[in-house]
Amino acid sequence: MSALVLLSVLGVVLLYLGLFSGRGILAPVGILGLLAALVLFAADWHLESTLFGGLVIFDTYARSFSLVLVVVTVLLFLFGMDYYAKVRENVAEHYALMVFSLVGGVLICSFTNLVMLFLGIEILSIPLYILAGGKRDSFRSGEAAFKYFLQGAFASGFLLMGLALIYGATASFDLAAIEAWSAVTANGGNMLFLLGLFLTLAGLAFKVAAVPFHFWSPDVYEGAPTLITAFMSTVVKTAAFAAFYRFIANIQLPGAVENMLVVMTLFTLFLGNIVALRQTQFKRLMAYSSIAHTGFLLLAFLGTDGRTPDVLFYYLGTYALATVGLFIVLTLAKRAALGDENIRIFRGLFRRDPWIAIAAMLMLLSLAGIPLTAGFVAKYRVFVLGIANGFIWTTLFAVLMALVGIYYYILVIREAFTPQDQESKELAVAPINWLVISLCGAGVVALGVWPGLLRI
Amino acid sequence: MEQGIITAIRTVPLDHYVLLSFLLFSIGVAGVVFRRNTIIILMCVELMLNSVNLLLTAFSAYHSDPRAQVFVFFIMLVAAAEVTVGLSILVMMKRNVDSVDVNQLNRLKG
Repeated sequence: MSALVLLSVLGVVLLYLGLFSGRGILAPVGILGLLAALVLFAADWHLESTLFGGLVIFDTYARSFSLVLVVVTVLLFLFGMDYYAKVRENVAEHYALMVFSLVGGVLICSFTNLVMLFLGIEILSIPLYILAGGKRDSFRSGEAAFKYFLQGAFASGFLLMGLALIYGATASFDLAAIEAWSAVTANGGNMLFLLGLFLTLAGLAFKVAAVPFHFWSPDVYEGAPTLITAFMSTVVKTAAFAAFYRFIANIQLPGAVENMLVVMTLFTLFLGNIVALRQTQFKRLMAYSSIAHTGFLLLAFLGTDGRTPDVLFYYLGTYALATVGLFIVLTLAKRAALGDENIRIFRGLFRRDPWIAIAAMLMLLSLAGIPLTAGFVAKYRVFVLGIANGFIWTTLFAVLMALVGIYYYILVIREAFTPQDQESKELAVAPINWLVISLCGAGVVALGVWPGLLRI
Repeated sequence: MEQGIITAIRTVPLDHYVLLSFLLFSIGVAGVVFRRNTIIILMCVELMLNSVNLLLTAFSAYHSDPRAQVFVFFIMLVAAAEVTVGLSILVMMKRNVDSVDVNQLNRLKG
């Protein structure tokens, strides 16, 4: 697949550009490269191409998710033009590492072999450990990097142990061979296989920040630079979910594992939404909101049928759109408030810039799942899927939690539309940021009204 | 794979390899959870990965299948990359707080 090669080369090119020329052309070159990769992904749409001797297969599923990953990265690079405008050093490395991480994301969307799953997850994660510590002299950024690294390495240990045990039981890393094996064997009885599945799912659950493997997420979201936080909660989350689904769709899950997934879903929904209620820092709020959304997405995993990929795709795409926009709004407000990240900084946003406030409101409403926005359609589809597959009580609980969730999004909206007590600094909106925010804000409404636009 | 080595590996029952790997893995996990010195925690993570390597090699010999051994090489590679990044982050942290104690990492809370 030439797109994969192109992306890898793009990362190296960006690194060299950082050595030899100005910072100004980094983002444009990166965006051009990403757009070229986009064209290559879309070029032979319904063709299935295999790579690395069958370790990776680019089918429609993989192509669709790769497209979303690349598009979101383009949006983030556009934001990066402004975000890195005042940064003096290591800008090229930031862009290059994001591209490398993206390559890992593309790989885990398309793996057919557990070896590739592991390698893809590591290629996705290792650049992120560095990126989370992107502000070298900031203690919080360093702490985020270290926590992420430590817990990430710990989780990959579990993932690896799981993969090794699955291999021990089935004598193959190939997903098709494992499926064939589990079809002929009564797999529920095989201890090695069962334990392997548990550990592998734990490793994957860490990547998507499902309870009880979520501890890294609030701290890392808060400490990492905002652009990287946005990258983690969109590109990385999308890729991890694509990989998660690819894994469980290809393996007949034994009953015990399915029960574990149900319990994980319930806890994720509960903890994400309830703890988010008492957050005052916007980034932590977004972290818990991200955990809550993980819960809704896990609900779509419970009983998988033919519709699940579509539901996941739509949910992740619209979630990424709203999240990118909100993190840009946060950066703008944070600058005006001299680095504060409390949700108070949004106070008076409507007075200062009505359009930005309205766009932010649309994105927050989409995350909350209010009708006419994309988030509503996404949640609705997940609930329909849950009920259709017989998980009625779990779905009811999810609906209840979705109602709770509306509260903390509305809280932020209320801040934005409350007039300010004293005059504060003017909101400086660069044209490029304005463009991306408008795109995201319009996007969540457009996709909510015409949900058919975004499907596999 | 050399036939002699396979026979040598197979003189020990597979269960013993599995148990040994689990033991090493658990030691690694316990180290990550209970030790406070970050360098030792890094070593324990390595121990976890290496216990998986041992397990894969044993399975590979018992299944007469070289693919798991190739995977072991990949794991070593990834472990090396991971430790490189980890140690750099450690150096950064040492510069910031002049300590390698994980309890120093407590400013992000809420």
